[in-house]
Amino acid sequence: MARAFAPFALTCLRQRSRQPCLSILSARQYHSHEHASSSPFSPTEDAILSAALKYVLSSSFTAESLSLGAQDAGYLPISTNLFPSGAFALVNYHLVTQRLRLSDSFSRPDPSPQLNISDNVRSIAMQRLKGTAPYIPQWQDALALLSMRSNIPTGVRELARLADEILYLAGSDTVTTAWYTDRMALAGIYASAELFMTQDRSRGFADTEDFLHRRLQEGEKLRDAGSMVGKWVGMQAGGLIDGLRSKGVWI
Amino acid sequence: MHRTTLTPRTIISVLHPHRPILDFLLPAFTHHPTHFPRRHNATAASAPPSPQPPPSSYGQHDPQGAKRRTPLSPSQKSFLDSALRVNQAGELAATLIYTHQTPPLLRTHPHLRQLMHHMHAQEAGHFATFNAMLAHHRIRPTAMYPLWTAAASTLGWATGLMGKEAAMACTEAVETEIGGHYNGQVRVLVRWMREMEERGEEVGDEVRELVGTLKRIRDEELEHLDEAVGEGARLARPYRLLNRVIRSGCKGAIWVSERV
Ligand SMILES: [Fe+2]
Ligand SMILES: [Fe+2]
Repeated sequence: MARAFAPFALTCLRQRSRQPCLSILSARQYHSHEHASSSPFSPTEDAILSAALKYVLSSSFTAESLSLGAQDAGYLPISTNLFPSGAFALVNYHLVTQRLRLSDSFSRPDPSPQLNISDNVRSIAMQRLKGTAPYIPQWQDALALLSMRSNIPTGVRELARLADEILYLAGSDTVTTAWYTDRMALAGIYASAELFMTQDRSRGFADTEDFLHRRLQEGEKLRDAGSMVGKWVGMQAGGLIDGLRSKGVWI
Repeated sequence: MHRTTLTPRTIISVLHPHRPILDFLLPAFTHHPTHFPRRHNATAASAPPSPQPPPSSYGQHDPQGAKRRTPLSPSQKSFLDSALRVNQAGELAATLIYTHQTPPLLRTHPHLRQLMHHMHAQEAGHFATFNAMLAHHRIRPTAMYPLWTAAASTLGWATGLMGKEAAMACTEAVETEIGGHYNGQVRVLVRWMREMEERGEEVGDEVRELVGTLKRIRDEELEHLDEAVGEGARLARPYRLLNRVIRSGCKGAIWVSERV
């Protein structure tokens, strides 16, 4: 299941570009609440890609859908030159717009003791998976494009942004090392759930939902276990130091 | 908590004599420190503003006649991104230094209890403030988090064992760097605000409140510096070595945390 994620991780490690791997993880900069963030697509790109997405159901994630979309939007087929990554631009458009759409349905909750972040993560992730539901028959093509070497950095970055978005909207306010591990774990779980979904024939993707639920619960357990180990080590060390101090050792 | 003294200002102007100190003379908003909500009231962009102290004078409520407000530029955002990340890391370290300094120190100098608790409480407040800011503005913490945790705990514990003067020299060295660091940030933000005002734009509350918070925290750091010197930091032996090592350690940590 982790098959899809492995090449991402490898390229991430191999990448020797000036941008360190961490910039992929961070995925965003200081987020201002005083201005709505602008769309990452120009109006032209938006028009062509959204029109092309309608052809994906019949022609899949291909250059053909892209040029049909361009024609629909009133542009010459040559205008697909706008998209040097070709059909991958369509996949990327789908991923980005679906991510941005999440904040229409969910808004970050105020902190409260009743806040159940895990439940929120699950429903937001499920909602996002359902955004891909219409394209399940074509999704193998999308995955093929996503695993092409030149597209991997964009794909990984988008996955990291999605994990960050889900945790943000779920109300997570973790800003320790767990910030990284939470995002990595969620990204992995999401990617495997998406892969599972391509084989899921159950009604309303109930099996995918189960799968997602189980993976998230396992992740939660691991996370708790990790912090328990940390606490235990801390307690032992603290006890040791106190013990030595009580024996008059000068520490 | 918020004690206003003139000493820190004098000190920093002595430390950085070549730098303009204009930002200390800035207008009114410095006088009513606008606190970032401790528990972050993270509302989605669309949600109504929190019912907390409405810092009246600036016109977020007037629909027309409001000045134009330009979004922060990418370079400004990336400045804030790394600045707040470094600040969180620094406050994490400060909290841990005091935590680990206190037990060995109080055994030999019980009279320092109040001072140590006061400084620790302030650092914990600073740490909470930046934690909330990171979550609110979606900034990642430094990847060196575990390393700084270990380094700061060790530094606090070691200087605490070395005795009162060494512990105070540690505080003095750290706060000198941190005070200068916060001052640098305040200077940049104040320049932005001046540029915005010159262009006839409205300065957003985010930047305005951040400047207030940074100034308050900087003043508290410089109070710690004063207290440390007052408790005999300069008498530490070897003072110069400790001072130099700790200060370059701080500079290195800041440099790294700005990047990763
Ligand atoms: Fe502090
Ligand atoms: Fe301090």
